[in-house]
Amino acid sequence: MRIRRPVVLLGLLAMLGLAAGVAPATAQDRDTLVIALDTLGAMVMDPIADTRAPHAHYHAPVWDSLVGFDFDKGGIGPGVAERWEGAPDGKSWTFHLRKGLKFHNGDPVTAHDVKFSLERKMSPESIASGAAALRRAIDKIDVVDDHTVRVHTKGVIPHFVASLSRAVFMEGTVMPKKYIESVGVKGFREKPIGSGPWKFVRLVPGDRIEYEAVTTPHWRGTPQFKRMVLLLVPEQSTRIAMVRTGEASIASIGPDAIKEAQAGGMRIVSVPGTMQAVYQFWGTYKPEAKGSPVTDVRVREALSLAIDRQQIIDHVMGKQARWPIAFATFRYSSDVTIPRWEDWAKTSLRYDPARAKKLLADAGYPNGFKLTFWNTALPGTPFMVQIGEAVAGFWEKIGVKVEMKTVEWGVFDPQTRGEQKGLAATASMYRTAGRPEPAPRYTTFTSKGVQHIFGDTKDCPALCQEVDKVYESVVSEKDDARRLAATNKMLEVVANSWMAVPIVEGVGLWAVNPKRVGQFKPIPGRHEFGDVAERMPRADQKPW
Amino acid sequence: MQRFILRRFFQSLVVLLVVAVVVFALARVTGNAADLLLPEDAGREDREHLLKALGLDRPMHEQLARFLKGALSGDLGMSIRYRKPAVEVFFERLPNTLTLVPIALLSAIVISIPLGLLAAVYRGTIIDRVSGAIAVLGIATPSFWLGIVLIYIFSIQLGWLPSARMGGPAHYILPTITLAAFLVAGMMRLVRSSVLEVLNSEFVKLARIKGLSQTVVIWKHCLRNALIPVVTLFGVFFALLVTGAIVTETVFAWPGVGRLTYEAVIFRDYPLLQAVILLKAMIVLGVNLAVDILYAYLDPRVRYS
Amino acid sequence: MAITTAPADVAVVDDAAPQREFRRLPWVSFAVIAVLALVAVLAPLIATHSPTEQSLPDKLRPPAWQEGGSTKHLLGTDLLGRDVFSRLVYGARVSLTVAMFALLSGGLIGLAIGILAGYAGGRTDSALMRIVDATLTFPTILIALVLAVSLGAGLGTIVLAITVIIWARFARVVRGEVLTVKTRDFVALARVHGCSHVRIMAIHIVPNVLNTFMVLMTLHIGFVIIVEASLSFLGAGIPPPTPSWGQMVADGRSHIASAWWLSALPGAAIMLVVLSFNLFGDWLRDWLDPRLRQV
Repeated sequence: MRIRRPVVLLGLLAMLGLAAGVAPATAQDRDTLVIALDTLGAMVMDPIADTRAPHAHYHAPVWDSLVGFDFDKGGIGPGVAERWEGAPDGKSWTFHLRKGLKFHNGDPVTAHDVKFSLERKMSPESIASGAAALRRAIDKIDVVDDHTVRVHTKGVIPHFVASLSRAVFMEGTVMPKKYIESVGVKGFREKPIGSGPWKFVRLVPGDRIEYEAVTTPHWRGTPQFKRMVLLLVPEQSTRIAMVRTGEASIASIGPDAIKEAQAGGMRIVSVPGTMQAVYQFWGTYKPEAKGSPVTDVRVREALSLAIDRQQIIDHVMGKQARWPIAFATFRYSSDVTIPRWEDWAKTSLRYDPARAKKLLADAGYPNGFKLTFWNTALPGTPFMVQIGEAVAGFWEKIGVKVEMKTVEWGVFDPQTRGEQKGLAATASMYRTAGRPEPAPRYTTFTSKGVQHIFGDTKDCPALCQEVDKVYESVVSEKDDARRLAATNKMLEVVANSWMAVPIVEGVGLWAVNPKRVGQFKPIPGRHEFGDVAERMPRADQKPW
Repeated sequence: MQRFILRRFFQSLVVLLVVAVVVFALARVTGNAADLLLPEDAGREDREHLLKALGLDRPMHEQLARFLKGALSGDLGMSIRYRKPAVEVFFERLPNTLTLVPIALLSAIVISIPLGLLAAVYRGTIIDRVSGAIAVLGIATPSFWLGIVLIYIFSIQLGWLPSARMGGPAHYILPTITLAAFLVAGMMRLVRSSVLEVLNSEFVKLARIKGLSQTVVIWKHCLRNALIPVVTLFGVFFALLVTGAIVTETVFAWPGVGRLTYEAVIFRDYPLLQAVILLKAMIVLGVNLAVDILYAYLDPRVRYS
Repeated sequence: MAITTAPADVAVVDDAAPQREFRRLPWVSFAVIAVLALVAVLAPLIATHSPTEQSLPDKLRPPAWQEGGSTKHLLGTDLLGRDVFSRLVYGARVSLTVAMFALLSGGLIGLAIGILAGYAGGRTDSALMRIVDATLTFPTILIALVLAVSLGAGLGTIVLAITVIIWARFARVVRGEVLTVKTRDFVALARVHGCSHVRIMAIHIVPNVLNTFMVLMTLHIGFVIIVEASLSFLGAGIPPPTPSWGQMVADGRSHIASAWWLSALPGAAIMLVVLSFNLFGDWLRDWLDPRLRQV
């Protein structure tokens, strides 16, 4: 029995050792805005070295975009270019730059910087999301004067301006020509400067990026906080804990965490129209798909009628989602008649299991059939898997035997490239990102598109040919009214095919500690806060 | 002795080569980085361009040859994602893991020694069983869950400790417990059996006959001997933690090499993955080699086995 | 990846304790294991609901004894309104099946390779042990992902992934054992009598390492269940909707404050099983072979 004492002592010593290091959780300083994120991408401070979403998280604070946002409605608005106009022949665009805008080292932002930036984005070493599209589009760039730049496009591209807005891609980022040329790429990546409302301070690999607010008024909004830190915290429950304890002010979350965050006293901020969760059928035109139930349009419509979207919105998305409209179309989309598609969605996307069963019976499958369903989530929207599970659950209820294959995106995606072997006559989850124009997303249906779900260049059935034709008429039409009509037509052809079907319009979700940050309004369609942080008020300040 | 060291060294090199080739092949079966970087409406042209920009358009054998050749000269290629030499990315993160691991290891030892000692001294009694059960608890909970529960209790409910990230000493406590938990069971067993062995040895019996008190016997003779196997296996435990910290680092947003490995897999950053696994393998093998040499030095029989 | 238990390749010979100890059978552990096996086998009879049937309006109901709970869902419901009790019951089946098959395949491969390496010695031993070393340096997640790609995610893939991880651990320990058995007189005697190597391995070596093998098996059941859970956490586990305990814990981990039952109940189940098997394994070890302290 006597050995107990030393053992206890040893234990105590150990505890003491640990306790010596214990300090109360550090109180966070009120001048710093701390945002905990699920991803910080590659953490390379160079706009040509990362892709779209990470760019909008951690590049956007430092750099401005040539074309900006419509803050209220979403979609595009003025940026570094205050205004722009297209030439009558539709083959060139003239951008008039904001005057008095300066980079962080004091150099003025000029048309030379814009030309340099666009060319850098198109360069072979650029991995920016839309680099290839830009190369396809731009013929040459002229500097008219210090504040005017003219871009000549290869052919008529009505959506060109939008593609230079961060609302779509990241190609319009304006970088400092003189600075990069003098310090070199390596120097630029180590000490990057831009013209945005936040100056880069420090980057700790795998952990955080620190910024400091500019002190002069900025056209995007002058930051209310003196500093900003973006933290990489991959685990959602840890992010929520950090906002709850005040270690972070804001954290990105998924819909499954809404309840947990509210239980912890956090405010939920939802960004409307950031994505649309859809499912789509693959290779129904292929010989391997012959005789498959899903080649019958009645079956495909039945599968849509079987889904109770309101339940998914209420219960999977925690009421933080909206009834979708047409494929890849949002309330802020241009080129489409929104009310018409809202009406269409209300009736056509309704929940009607009785009619679904009848359609199945009409098609010759009164007892259902077997369907392979790839359940996968694109990066940044992991909750797609839960939506997929819910959809499969509804299909089961009308008698469809769903063989669900839950796969990681990196595994599923390569299958959709090229031959698409193994995908024929199967369905999968998919997503459309929140962009102002639906047209670019409709390449899914054209025979030359990557996904070519209606038919490929070798085998293009009637429906595929129809889409090819109407798509061409949309993307080359410079007259707004005619383009509107053509786009509506394109949406109609796709909607009636029931081949790619919207499930819900998703929102971007954030948990905010109300003691740290006041009320602010996100930009519709722009999930990331890289263009919002400068307008976030402190907790005791007026809402923005 | 020299021959022994040399032989072990070459064996380690062979293992590294096997690891290199296998990891090269495995990584490429799982898809490629380009597809993960492309937006969902990218065209064929975008993809081809990206593949080229990333150097992934070359035939497989050419990529392998280039990789092996580079590896020999210490160049493990550029990380696709981070656009920096992969080796540099690894060594940026390694210190973060290396600050956590020794502390976790030490804590595990501090917990397992008393437990093992108690269990051995009270062998077969309820105390033995209870200490065994306590030790097993550490491996009976998935460590991600243990970490999250710890955060909930100590950061959210009690407000005593920060919930995550690197920082001052307080930041080390929860990750340390999480990481140490799965070592305790094994170490405790080790201590228990070596103490048992010593307790039954002649010299302890002799000590008892001499009339030394139980406490003195245990502290002077048993503990020291009990520590020997733990110290011998120190290297192995260390290696286990260095390679095994993925989950803990994810939960606690700890920017170490475990997390880096996971990211390299998920983003199919082949050069980085190859580098990370090779370098980790090198550390593991290096530590094992050092332990082996030390062992051989101490125990000449090993050399001839 | 969670790497559990000490590396088990150092066997200490406890000759000083010759008396065989018959520790009492750990009845509690035994009962837990027996009940669990029964539950797994009889899952369809015990479960009150289908483990995959969803009812979204019923999501996140608390267990029956809590406010807002009902006897319809004894242990509450999950995020998609599925019955947690039924998922736990079926989850036992899935988790135990995975553990059993992974252990059997990994264990037998490890046994075979360990015996071969230990018995043959020399170059063969050296080569096989280098492969073991190489295997042990790979991250589990990579192996699991690779297999998920080439074979599709699923039960079989997880079993295979864990097999790949676990065989090397078994091989190491078994080899160590064989090295000591090999030097015994009866092996030399058999050799003198002209027994073939295969015969010696089968008749003289295998029975002598079988005890170690059995003990290793029981002690690794917990390891397998935990690895399966960790893989789910990292997104490479058993794909939904198939219920497994590990995946249930992983799915529920974001809801500790608002719906504790999602992760705590499967977590407790895992803990109970791992604890039981370990205590059982300890007992088995003492009973079968008191010499062996390290496994």
